[in-house]
Amino acid sequence: MQQQEIHKFLLNYFEANHCEIIENHPTHLVIGLSIEMDKELMNRPFYWHYLEKTGGVPNPMTLTLITDSLNAPEDLKGEHIHFGSPRLHQIFQSTKKLAGFIRLYEDAAITSQQPLYPWLCLNVKISYQCDRKKDICLSIGLNLISGEIKEAFHDRIVRLKVTPKIPDLFFNLSPLIMPASGLTRLDGYIRKTFEGDDHSWAEEAIVRWNNDLNLLDRFYEGQEDNENYQTEKAALRAQYEPKIDISVINGGLFYLTEKAV
Amino acid sequence: MKIQISFDSDWSKEFLHKTTEDGPWANWDLYKLAIEAETHLAIPEFDGLQAPKHLPQLKPLPHQLEVARQVVETMHGKAILADEVGLGKTIEAGLILKEYMIRGLVKKVLILVPASLVSQWAFELNTKFHIPAVIQRKSYVWDSCDCIVSSIDTAKRDPHRDIILQQEYDLIIIDEAHKLKNNKTKNYEFVQRLKKRFCLLLTATPIQNKVEEIFHLVSLLKPGHLGNEALFSEKYKGKGRLVLEDEDLKLLVNTVMIRNRRADTGIEWTKRHVETTVIDFSPTEQALYDAIVAFKPGESGKSSSFSGLTLQREACSSREAVYYTLKNMKEKAENPSPAYLESIDQLIEKVNAVSHNSKAEKTLELIQKINDKVIIFTEYRATQLYLQWYLKQHGISSVPFRGGFKRGKKDWMRELFQNKAQVLIATEAGGEGINLQFCHHLINFDLPWNPMRLEQRIGRIHRLGQEEDVRIYNLATRNTIEDHILKLLYEKINLFEKVIGELDEILTKLEIGNIEEYLIDVVGESKTEGEMKIKMDNLSSLIQFAQQVKDGETHAATGNS
Repeated sequence: MQQQEIHKFLLNYFEANHCEIIENHPTHLVIGLSIEMDKELMNRPFYWHYLEKTGGVPNPMTLTLITDSLNAPEDLKGEHIHFGSPRLHQIFQSTKKLAGFIRLYEDAAITSQQPLYPWLCLNVKISYQCDRKKDICLSIGLNLISGEIKEAFHDRIVRLKVTPKIPDLFFNLSPLIMPASGLTRLDGYIRKTFEGDDHSWAEEAIVRWNNDLNLLDRFYEGQEDNENYQTEKAALRAQYEPKIDISVINGGLFYLTEKAV
Repeated sequence: MKIQISFDSDWSKEFLHKTTEDGPWANWDLYKLAIEAETHLAIPEFDGLQAPKHLPQLKPLPHQLEVARQVVETMHGKAILADEVGLGKTIEAGLILKEYMIRGLVKKVLILVPASLVSQWAFELNTKFHIPAVIQRKSYVWDSCDCIVSSIDTAKRDPHRDIILQQEYDLIIIDEAHKLKNNKTKNYEFVQRLKKRFCLLLTATPIQNKVEEIFHLVSLLKPGHLGNEALFSEKYKGKGRLVLEDEDLKLLVNTVMIRNRRADTGIEWTKRHVETTVIDFSPTEQALYDAIVAFKPGESGKSSSFSGLTLQREACSSREAVYYTLKNMKEKAENPSPAYLESIDQLIEKVNAVSHNSKAEKTLELIQKINDKVIIFTEYRATQLYLQWYLKQHGISSVPFRGGFKRGKKDWMRELFQNKAQVLIATEAGGEGINLQFCHHLINFDLPWNPMRLEQRIGRIHRLGQEEDVRIYNLATRNTIEDHILKLLYEKINLFEKVIGELDEILTKLEIGNIEEYLIDVVGESKTEGEMKIKMDNLSSLIQFAQQVKDGETHAATGNS
C-alpha cells in the first residue's frame, strides 16, 4: 500500500465516520474525533466512564497522522503511519467491524415505475493454510429470484449509484430464495471455485507431515505411552494439517435494476 | 485428497438476524474501505516475505532476510539460528515472528531468553517490529497476553510452570539455546514438554564440546531428525566436534540449522587493536604467588592440581580472590589435618602481607589514559568488589555487573554505565547477553582459559552497531601461569586479532573435547616447565594447523550452502 493510498484511506475512513477534518495536508492529517470514534480508537474507557458518571462536557481527542514523514514539517507532533503501523491496523480492524453488513438500493435516473431485483452479496477471503499460507479474495453475488450467480460482484456494483433508502418510483421484487438458503448456495458455490484448483500445497504439506511423523515414531520407538510423544504428535498436526478457511469480509443485500450487473 | 474446509458461520448468523430486525446497516463508504483494507492484507503467495513491507524503518541485512525466508519456506518454521555472535540473530527471529503473525499463522508466542535480555527483547520487538510483546511480571499474563517474554528460570518454576505447560503455543523462541545441550537438566525437560507449532532456537555456539549437544538441540526441535539417542551415539560417539565433517550428518543438520559466518555476510567490521601489558609483582605479591605454587593441597589427583591452579590464577588477579578461596577450603574441608590447616593459615598470612595490587594500579593508569568508557572483565567476584572499591578511592565511578543480578538490576546497571559511570566491572557470568556497543575499550584484568569465553567477552562490544575500532587491553603478570597461557596460547594463535567467530570455526576443526580441561591437564600435570611448554606448543600448532586447513576451504563444516 503506497503512502498516498494510506492517506486517502484514512481521509475516507474519518469522513465516513463523521469526524472533523481539521487539516488535510499532503503530508499529514489532523482529525477532530467524534465521541464515537474516540471511544472506538483511543482506548480510554475510564475517561468515558468517568464522564458519563459525572455528566461533564465530553472532550474527544484530536489525532495527527503523518503520512509522509520525509516532507512533513519537522516540528509536527503526531503518529507516523505506514503499512505496518499498529494504528493503521487498528483502523483496518475497525473498518471491518463497522462495515460487516449492508443493504442498499440502486438509485438510477428513471421516469416510470421499475422493479429492483434482490441480490445477496458475499465478499470472502479464502485462506489456504498448512505450515504456510495464502489468501484469495472473492466477491460473489446471488440473484435471489433467478438463482444466477456472478463473480467479481463488488467490482460490478462499485460504479453504481446507490442509496440506503429505496428511491422514488422503484419497488422491490420479493426474493424467491430466502437469505438463509441463499447463503448455503453461495457457500456451495465458493467451495466449487477451488475444487479443481491445484492443491499440491496441501499434498506437499501432508508429505512433510508424514515424514516428520515417521521420524517421531523412530525417536519414541518402544515408548509410545510417553506424554511427550503425544504432545509432539499433536504439534505436528497443528503445524502441517492442510485447511481451507473461508471467512467473510462483509456482505449484504443489494436491490438492483434488471441490467445493472 | 480431503482437505478440511470451514466457513465463517458467525457472520451468517448475524446477517440473518439483521435481515429480520431490518438493520442496522453499514455505511457504503466504510463497506468499500473494508474490502480495500482486506485486499491489501491478503497474502498473495505462499512464498516470499511480507514482513519487510510492514517494517519500512527496519533495515535488515541481506543475510538476515535470507534466513527469514529460508526458515519460513524450506524449514517449515522449525530452525536453529546459529549465526556467529553479533550478526543479528534477534533481528532474524523478529522477522520470522512478524512474518508468521502477518500471515495469521502465529498468535500465541513464548519467548524464553536469559534474564538480562528480557527487557531488551521486549523493547526491540515493540519498537522495531511493532509486536506487542509483554514482559512476564505476574503469573496471570500467561493466559491473558499473546506474546510474552520471560526468563527460562522464571518460566520453569511454580506456579508458572504448570500454567505454561497448559498453553498451546504457535511459536516458541529460545535465545542462548546452547544452555539446553544437556537433556538431563530441568530446563531441557521443561522445554521438551512445551506445546509448540513452530520453534526457533538461537545460539552462536551450537556445539561447544560434545557431539551429543547437537543431537539434544535438534531433538528438541524435531525429535527423530537425527535418529534416537542410542543409534546416534553408537554412530558418532567420541568423535567430538569433528563429527560435523561427516557428510551425512552435515546434510541432516543443515536442514534444521542456519549458520552465517561473518565472512559470508560481507559486512564491514571495525578493527580490533590489542595491547598487552606485562606487570611485575611487588615483592609481597611474588612471595604469595611462590608460596601458592609450592602449596600442595590434599592428596594428589586432578582435583588437587585444579584447586592449586585456581589459587595461582587468583593470585594473578587479587589477594582478595585468593583469600576467599582459602577461606572456603578451610571451611569446607572434612576432618582436615592440622598440617593442612596450618599451611592454609600460612598462606593467609602471606595474603595479609600484600599491601597493594600492582595490576589494579596499572588498570587505574590505563583508565585515566583512556579517558572514555571502559569495561573491565575479571573471573572473580572478590576481584570485582576490590576493583570497585579501589577505583572509587581514586575518584572513578564504576558499576558492577554479574550474571546473578535480577533482570531489572541488570538493565539499571547497563543504563548507569551508559549515562553516569565511566567503568563497568563484569564477571564472567555477566558477560553473556548484554550489548554494550556504546563502549569500545575493554580491559581483560585476568584471562579465561577457554578461548570461547574470551570471544564472548569481546563480543559484548564488538558487534553490529559498533562504530569505533575496538581496543582490548590484556594484563598479565610476568612469569606466572597467566603469562604462560597468554604467550603460549593466545598470542600464538593471534586470538585477539581474529575476527568474530573465526575462532569458533577453528576450534570446531579440533577434536579437543573441552579446551579448558585440556589446559588444566597440561599445566597441572606437567612435571617441568619444559614439558608444559612443549605441550602448549603442540596445542597452538594444532590450532594454527586447523586455521590453515580452514583457510584452504571454501565452505565450513556447518556452513550455509
